[in-house]
Amino acid sequence: MLRLKLIGTFILTILGISLALVASPAQAVGNYSGKPCAIEGRVYVVTGVTYTCGRVNDVLVYAEGRKLTGTLNVLCTPQEAWCIAMTQAFQAKTGIPTKFIRLSSGESLTRLLASKNNPEFDVWTGGPNDSHISGRIQGVLDPYKSPTRKMLTKQFQDSDGFWTGIYMGALGFCSNTNELSRLGLKAPKSWDDLLNPKLKGNVMMAHPGTSGTAYTTLWSQVLRLGSEDAAIEYMKLLNKNILSYTRSGSGPTGPLGRGEIATGIVFSHDCTAAILRGNPLVVSFPKEGTGFEIGGIALVKGAKNPDAAKAYIDFSLSADAQDLGPAKAESFQILTNPRAKSDPRMVNLRKISLLNYEAEAAGIAAVKLKARFDKEVALTASAK
Amino acid sequence: MKSSEGKLSLVSITKEFGDTQEKVIAVNKLSLDIEPGEFVTLLGPSGCGKTTALRIIAGFETPTSGKVLLDGVDLSSLTPDKRPMGMVFQSYALFPHMTVFDNVAYGLRVKKMSGASIKEAVSEVLNSMSLSHLANRAPNQLSGGQQQRVALARAMVVRPKLLLFDEPLSNLDAKLRAQMRTEIRSIQRKLGITSIFVTHDQDEAMSLSDRIVVMRNAVVEQVGTPEEIYRRPASVFVADFIGRSNFLKVESAVAVGDKKAQIVVGGKNMQVASYSENLLSEKSVLLVRPESIQVSMSSNSGSQINISEGVVENLVFYGNHVEYTLESNEGKIIAVVSDPVYEEIVPVGKIANYSFDPTRTWLLPLN
Amino acid sequence: MRSNLGRAKYDFFTKIALGLVIFIIGFLIILPLINILVYAGGPSGSAILRGSISDFVTRNIIWNTIKLGVTVATLGTLFGFILAYTQVRVEFRGKKILHIINLIPIISPPFAFATAIIVLFGRSGMITRGIFDWRPTLYGFSGLVIVLTLSFFPIAYMNFLGMLRSLDPALDEAGLSLGANKWRVFRTVTVPMLIPGFAGAFLLLFIESIADLANPLIIGGRYTVLASRAYMAINGDYDISLAAGYASLLLLPALFVFLIQRYWAQKKSVISVTGKPSGRPILVTSIGMRSLLLSFTGLVTILIVLIYATVLVGAFVQIIGVNNEITLNHFRYLLGGFANGAIKTTTFLALIATPLAGIFGMLTAWLVIRKVKRGSEALDFLGMLGIAVPGTVIGIGYAITYNDPLKIGGVTIFPQVAGGAALLGGSIAIVMVYIIRSSPAGQRSGISMLQQIDPSIEEASASLGASGAKTFRLVTLPLISGAFLAGLLYAFAHSMTTLSPIIFLVTPDTSILTQKILAEADQGRYGNVFALCCILIILILVIGGLINYFVKRNQVSIDRPMTRSR
Repeated sequence: MLRLKLIGTFILTILGISLALVASPAQAVGNYSGKPCAIEGRVYVVTGVTYTCGRVNDVLVYAEGRKLTGTLNVLCTPQEAWCIAMTQAFQAKTGIPTKFIRLSSGESLTRLLASKNNPEFDVWTGGPNDSHISGRIQGVLDPYKSPTRKMLTKQFQDSDGFWTGIYMGALGFCSNTNELSRLGLKAPKSWDDLLNPKLKGNVMMAHPGTSGTAYTTLWSQVLRLGSEDAAIEYMKLLNKNILSYTRSGSGPTGPLGRGEIATGIVFSHDCTAAILRGNPLVVSFPKEGTGFEIGGIALVKGAKNPDAAKAYIDFSLSADAQDLGPAKAESFQILTNPRAKSDPRMVNLRKISLLNYEAEAAGIAAVKLKARFDKEVALTASAK
Repeated sequence: MKSSEGKLSLVSITKEFGDTQEKVIAVNKLSLDIEPGEFVTLLGPSGCGKTTALRIIAGFETPTSGKVLLDGVDLSSLTPDKRPMGMVFQSYALFPHMTVFDNVAYGLRVKKMSGASIKEAVSEVLNSMSLSHLANRAPNQLSGGQQQRVALARAMVVRPKLLLFDEPLSNLDAKLRAQMRTEIRSIQRKLGITSIFVTHDQDEAMSLSDRIVVMRNAVVEQVGTPEEIYRRPASVFVADFIGRSNFLKVESAVAVGDKKAQIVVGGKNMQVASYSENLLSEKSVLLVRPESIQVSMSSNSGSQINISEGVVENLVFYGNHVEYTLESNEGKIIAVVSDPVYEEIVPVGKIANYSFDPTRTWLLPLN
Repeated sequence: MRSNLGRAKYDFFTKIALGLVIFIIGFLIILPLINILVYAGGPSGSAILRGSISDFVTRNIIWNTIKLGVTVATLGTLFGFILAYTQVRVEFRGKKILHIINLIPIISPPFAFATAIIVLFGRSGMITRGIFDWRPTLYGFSGLVIVLTLSFFPIAYMNFLGMLRSLDPALDEAGLSLGANKWRVFRTVTVPMLIPGFAGAFLLLFIESIADLANPLIIGGRYTVLASRAYMAINGDYDISLAAGYASLLLLPALFVFLIQRYWAQKKSVISVTGKPSGRPILVTSIGMRSLLLSFTGLVTILIVLIYATVLVGAFVQIIGVNNEITLNHFRYLLGGFANGAIKTTTFLALIATPLAGIFGMLTAWLVIRKVKRGSEALDFLGMLGIAVPGTVIGIGYAITYNDPLKIGGVTIFPQVAGGAALLGGSIAIVMVYIIRSSPAGQRSGISMLQQIDPSIEEASASLGASGAKTFRLVTLPLISGAFLAGLLYAFAHSMTTLSPIIFLVTPDTSILTQKILAEADQGRYGNVFALCCILIILILVIGGLINYFVKRNQVSIDRPMTRSR
């Protein structure tokens, strides 16, 4: 008898929840530019209305007043800790329940495409912006031009507003010092150093199919060597030394820390974070120039809660939010808001050589190049 | 007390199992009328269809064709729980998770009777079957006989119009079986509930039944009272299945009026006192039950009818009777002589005379 | 032609139950499978299906999958047999504890083994390198074989344990009395009797190991199998047709092997299921054999203990083997926001699915054994599909089928249940997966229990006037409550630890513990992986214990169910 009662309770619970889920859509209050505000880019909440402090004709005024309701669903690509810090801060500020799921770039794009007709997310934050460009091309994003954009340099914004940059990171080599000395090697200083036969089975990177980091690596070879064919050839050579392709860009840092492998290709900030967790690692950069990412944020097309999503984008661009990365989440990407604090643990772009990375071209080439990599490098190699 | 309710009619019941390729007919056109209060036994070897017939009556099997009528009402569309019948199972099928009391009360509770009247009814039936002291026991704490009684009590307490018994005594030892037979019969007589009893045990059938239905290979071989079945079997099968038999091959037969016949067996003329019609023209066999045969020393032969001789091949002394196996011209003869005189027992290897009364014989069709 | 089926008369309750079971099977497994096959017919899917014959790369992935399946199945069966044989035929101290340890891997969370094995036996493993200065490469085939064999051998162990215990010792005695020595008896009597057992265990392990997605993702290295390739097709290429193509390549051999296992291996079984052994088993007494068996068993047991010790210790130190400073940081991080939601959601959804899976399994078992006259074998098979079909395939099937409302001619016949935009944030799809994946265990135990209970006990109830529903509730369920409990416990543990199908279905509202473990394992944060595994194991033990207590307390005590006498 009790069992049946229990089941009854479950069914009633389900019904109850579904009834409670009648969400009312967010209400836009409209632009409000009467009152002046103090700090550009900061998000204020005044009597339940969320405003972004923006510059209008050289005057700082509250803009984009929005009365937020409902919940916000965030698709988040960087580290979990970063996602937690950002969403919790937004929730604390606005009172809007903010949920997120962390998926790598490729997985994120997949989920956006799969739920195109009935979007499950409102905003997609983080990850190299060539994925966002891919998303724009495949029609899963809507443009949004935040008032805070004006603070950012041109390279951090899409002219049509489909994405905006929230951070920047450079690819680097992350090496285990113990393993290097055991192999009698120095930290790699060139892409070709990775091809050293001594490193056979001692290198890891993520899979470009799922990881934006890895795709940045792949596209960097195209830039560096001049053609997709040459890039694929290089990857084939590198593949001989690769032990495993991980799902996520930062995946290699774990095995690196344990000394399972000697070196890996990751964004340098992921390596820095691992070093801070106590792993015996060192970061180095290729002298030929390295690829970089601009971490993008974008509004999902057909978002169920576009107002909250826009407020979240404004918030992510603010210095307040960006400072959370280094402070709360051991994330040391270079920040895009000029007011955000710089941290010595961030990579100094002046000391490394960067490739002339064009995210637009990378995004356009993505689908075909990833498929080529899979077929000609990863799978063919596994067959041998 | 005879009840006027509980007349059961089976109308041309057929049950087929399996698909069209491998069809097995379990019951073939079974028609039977059972009077209110009557105790009828379905008797036959295993696989003859008797259990299937019972399960069709109970509603556990659906007949392929035919009808089951109870007091003129067609039961075909009713599931077992809607049929006013009580059933006693071979394995007793007591609910192992309930006490004796709860087992017996089950049917009444399902009928939503009041607690007080349930208690009264259950106590009464437990009392009448001397089970009261076991009311709070679990079934697995009871002996086989006690379990059997509980099963019977459980079936009867709901006052069914029909009681069905599916070989309920087969798991008991011989002594208990005999005791339960008497008990079942007396309770059934007292309550006057129409009862159908399935068994493969002829003793059970003979001792319990008003009428016996002998089944074989899905069809009814014979329906009759125990006496009819024993003395006037319809076939070699029935004669063989019930009691022990000597079958003597009949070489020729001539009617000699007044239902008597003159036959030739093993070259000898013999007389038969009665037989059923139209058997003379066919090949037939003569049935003589072993206890109908007298055996004596060959020297003191007289001039009786139906007398022959044979060599004693085997002899078993049981105390109250002697069983002979004789090798004769007419074939192998089994004879059972009760209360034998010690000096008159014919030893093995000797020639013995055997004889039987024409009134104790019966002509049967040869298959 | 007048068929029996047309005249089969089911009572109202049976009709309802049958309708319900068919409805559930239809929506929870058949429809997603049909969709897989339909999508596999799309351009890239059919290219893959054709490629399975012509294309070198595809053929290689298939070969990898089969090679892995065969190796793991062989080793796992052997491990299971040796351990079971030692358990039954060798007398030694600490038997019970060894038995429990050998069963533990059944409730192990995904990745616990993969990560612990790397920590212990990897290139910088605490044992391999720390003690032997040896640097084996575990990423790839060898690592997969070790991890999968250790994870799955308990299935074989349980099978063999049951068989060896019910093997009549009189057979061995007969062999010995005819002058054969023990080794000869083992070869000529014991092993031949167990051949169907070997086949059954082998086939089950084969299915389990080709279906596994979690481990190939983490330690597969460059060794690509169908499951991980199908995952990549969805998450890397966003090509559903392609994923469906790989999924059907995975589905067909799994189903085929499952059918062989069910209808061939089981029928060949010569071991009497009902007969309790009549005496004590003949023990292995030769010192050589004893020490051989015991040392192997000991080795496997030590390995399992080591793995769990690693999980436990690893949860409480910074980076096990690298920085062994004791810390609660992992738990602080996990319980400080990272995993709270997942813990609550996973437990809640598993608790909803558990009774439903339990009842569904029992109902199916009851229909198969007692009620359905025609097609009961088919019903049994359909009910078992949930474990016959690889989890990856189910996940992809659900993603294809339930990310949109199901419409026929513009009328919604089934709402969207998967994805973040679905009703209840996609949690219904996850509960559905939990149910269909874990009900088969209950169904099996229900069936074997019902087969031992005399059907006339239920007929007695009917003849006393109880309707079908009443009989099921008052008589059948109490009698099979043991199987019901086992089904519940399995359903809960399995739901809590399932991953392959869930990867495709998590949403912001329904973050699932195993998916969190995958994320942490993928990023190499083993401390968090171990801490999550600890949390998961504790949840399973505590809640499983509560379920056990709750059900047992309400269970009518049956010392010995009435057994079939015919």
